Amino acid sequence: MFDLKHFFKKRQEGKIRDAERARDKIRLAFTQRYLNFKTLLSLNDKVLEIINEMEQALIEDRSFGMAFVRGQCTALSVNLFKIIQSLNEITGGQHQALFGAYDRIWGKIDQEIKKKKPPAQGDWVLPLEAITRQMADQVGNKMANLGEIKNHVGLAVPEGFAISASAYDYFLDHNKLQDEINRRMQFLDPANIAQLHETSSEIQKLLTNAVLPIPLEDAILSAYHQLIKKLGEGVHVSMRSSALGEDAQEASFAGQYRSVLNVSPEYLILSYKEILASKYSVPAITYRLNKGFLDEEIIMCVGCMAMVQAETAGVMYSTDPGGLRRQDIFINAVMGLGKSVVDGSIIPDLFIVNTKNLNPPYEKEIQEKTKKIVCHPEEGVCLEVVSETGSRIPALRDAQIRPLAEIALRLENHFGSPQDIEWAITTDGAIQILQSRPLLVLKQNTAEETESSHPEIEQPLLFKGGITASPGVACGPAFRIETTVDLLQFPPGAVLVARYPLPQWAAVLNTAVAVVTDQGALTGHLAAVAREFKIPALMGTQRAFETIRPGEVITVDANQQALYAGRVESLLAKSKVKTSRMKGSPVYRSLENILKTIAPLTLTDPEGDNFSPEGCQTLHDIIRFAHEKSLRELFESEAEADLSEKFAKKLVSSLPMQWWIIDLEGGIKEDIAGAAVRLEDILSIPLLALWEGLSAVPWKGPPPVDTKGFLSILAESTMDTSLEQGLGSGMAAKNFALVSENFCHLSTRLGFHFSTIESYLGDLAAENYVWFYFKGGAADRQRKEQRGHLIRLILEKFHFWVQMKGDLLSARLERQGKELLKERLKVLGYLILHTRQLDMILSDQGRVNWYLDEMLKEISTFTTLPS
Amino acid sequence: MADIKILLVDDEDDFRTTLANRLRKRRLEVREVESGYKAVELVRETPLDIAIIDVKMPGMDGLETLKQIKQIQPMLEVIMLTGHASVESGIEGMRLGAFDYLMKPCDINELVLKIEDAYQRKLVQEKS
Repeated sequence: MFDLKHFFKKRQEGKIRDAERARDKIRLAFTQRYLNFKTLLSLNDKVLEIINEMEQALIEDRSFGMAFVRGQCTALSVNLFKIIQSLNEITGGQHQALFGAYDRIWGKIDQEIKKKKPPAQGDWVLPLEAITRQMADQVGNKMANLGEIKNHVGLAVPEGFAISASAYDYFLDHNKLQDEINRRMQFLDPANIAQLHETSSEIQKLLTNAVLPIPLEDAILSAYHQLIKKLGEGVHVSMRSSALGEDAQEASFAGQYRSVLNVSPEYLILSYKEILASKYSVPAITYRLNKGFLDEEIIMCVGCMAMVQAETAGVMYSTDPGGLRRQDIFINAVMGLGKSVVDGSIIPDLFIVNTKNLNPPYEKEIQEKTKKIVCHPEEGVCLEVVSETGSRIPALRDAQIRPLAEIALRLENHFGSPQDIEWAITTDGAIQILQSRPLLVLKQNTAEETESSHPEIEQPLLFKGGITASPGVACGPAFRIETTVDLLQFPPGAVLVARYPLPQWAAVLNTAVAVVTDQGALTGHLAAVAREFKIPALMGTQRAFETIRPGEVITVDANQQALYAGRVESLLAKSKVKTSRMKGSPVYRSLENILKTIAPLTLTDPEGDNFSPEGCQTLHDIIRFAHEKSLRELFESEAEADLSEKFAKKLVSSLPMQWWIIDLEGGIKEDIAGAAVRLEDILSIPLLALWEGLSAVPWKGPPPVDTKGFLSILAESTMDTSLEQGLGSGMAAKNFALVSENFCHLSTRLGFHFSTIESYLGDLAAENYVWFYFKGGAADRQRKEQRGHLIRLILEKFHFWVQMKGDLLSARLERQGKELLKERLKVLGYLILHTRQLDMILSDQGRVNWYLDEMLKEISTFTTLPS
Repeated sequence: MADIKILLVDDEDDFRTTLANRLRKRRLEVREVESGYKAVELVRETPLDIAIIDVKMPGMDGLETLKQIKQIQPMLEVIMLTGHASVESGIEGMRLGAFDYLMKPCDINELVLKIEDAYQRKLVQEKS
């Protein structure tokens, strides 16, 4: 920053003659305009950067939440407001009408940002008898389906009730929690796993510590008393989440929320709050983020049902989720409660039933049972050792299998799609249905790959066996996870190796390439999430955890149930690229819609009739309009002509560019008459350094263009007429430098490129800086990026900190000594002249490298390359 | 830089004291208060350059504080800080004359740059 204070102080020193005072007044006016202009320029870069960032979030398969969208929109609205404000300041309020356009367009965007679910309707608590599948928006899919099964399919479901979406809203409103939760979520950087855990625990504490409004507590307790009336004093219940938006086919949220089993009456309310709080568990937050769910769209309903004392329980799929054995029903069963199937803590027995003939013999895989999960007499559940004699008996007798298979078919038939069903068999032999939800079945083409023949593989086979919990092939370094602490260190791109497929491991499935576990089955939660994320999972390997060395690069072939040391290219080549998980999700669609009102540029012709505030249809239009008007104002307005006459002087030089110098203070020799200035009159230290670089190597004229490059320029020019319009008539070729002794701000437009260089070089290293922005170019996206890449490589050689967003490149070097930064400015001077139209020829990487060497060679003739 | 006088208004004690100390390390003169009322009181008695105000505060909120402060010292530049990004309050703050609107948690370097910019603007406004 040039030294304003010094400027004013100096101004006040000594006697000031009238003429000088008049001169100062003009300078001050100019300084003010300059500040406004500088603000406009940097804000223009800034808002375009924000829009770019939003677009990139869609293009890359990046996870983002509504907090990101809101944050970007807010930053955009504020900065755009400042643009309009500054423009009005320099034009004496000529463009007030832009505020109208601004309000009009934001109105549209605001609707999309604020688009909220309508407040939940209906009772806080609903008995299961009153629930049907049409009531999913009141009680969540899980409970709506259970009500349907009880009341319209006629299968046995435990007695119980649902605590509804309106109860959740009431609880949050009563405690005014939503704002506080949003605030904490805004602070959250999801990539920072330590912070993720901290935020998760803070929000969960907030929810569990909040008090339930008394009328709601009364309603829950009275529903519980209805249960007592039916089932007797002291009945225990299971409490499970039944979130709105959960259980959609592509997004199961399998196991991401809390379930509390065998709850005694005194813990009813606390358990309810804990389940609500589990919306903010680490896996649930990450899952939503990865799948693009709106935080506020997920509403936690809770199902509260009489606890079933299961003798045997499990999960069944009405078909093969891998899409292969479509005629088969898969039943996983364990002794005791079914919890161990879904959380993967025990390998369950597997029974496969062919739907064409429901009769035995059935295909079976019976495991040795050492333990089972049962209800604790007081509360909760516990592990119990299975007696030696019981350990080899199948969890289901043949006579029990057929009725289960029939239920699976009935439910698939009733709901019209394959089902994932949780069931339990009580001591008296009755089957109870605990849950039924749509089953995600992978498409046939994935399945075909699974069937394909085994190629010849050189790499050593580490392991063969286990079950295909999710098909596919992937390769990466093995990372073993035993505790949540390990989870914090999970490196992206690694293979997750664990003993148990616990649902909480799902938190890293967005960055893992594959999953391998010792325990687990097809029907577990982690398996379901792996299938959703389309990453291969090999489970039930029994000993992979001990076999695989940490850090070892392995190839997981879940299709053939095999693990290999190293990369097996022949297998990997056949596996397909993953598709975006965000695409089509609610947050993704929201951002996509918002961008429609932000990003397109419709005002392309500054001479056109619609080039007016009224003609602005998007925020980009407003930005374009303001930019055009501010540039014109600075260079063409009468006020400016008046000032410029005194201050802007044309630089006499032999370079193929026109230069106009505006002196802020001490940047050129005093008392130069006329409208021209010669190089030897310039005192500005940064400008002189730049000039040295500009004139060090003569420009050889435009490089030879290959036909494709030329065509791509033609295409882009037709698409965006603003490129030709440049700064408007007459200004197209002028480059402006605002200078003082230690400061220089240079805007250039060379051909199709726009660049800005700003630098302050004083005696204090801490205050010194060089900034460089580079954007535009007429070629297609790929060529532009190649050019950006080339400039980046060169600048990084000189230790600039470079960022690229789309084709906007920004580079900074700060807090260095004056002499060093002078050398760096020379490099920039060289670059702005010699990268002219380079994008026309940068058709491939080989050429980038060739030019890199050439340019570094030329640069080394006038400055020293850092070693 | 050393003579820029800053007022920091935020009801969240941890955040406010930490930020104040970090700004002081950069040789800025910082006074801190925990409510809008106290901020208005202080602005009545003490000339200041920059106020940094949290949008969401109990009692008098950030926008109201901004409005009142601007009436007392129109030249004082105000930077709004918020934990709740909202386009609505962002625009409202700008309309009421805020210099800028930053989202928490904000990068300290970015904030200092904003302070410098705001101060430059204040100097220029006063001279004209």
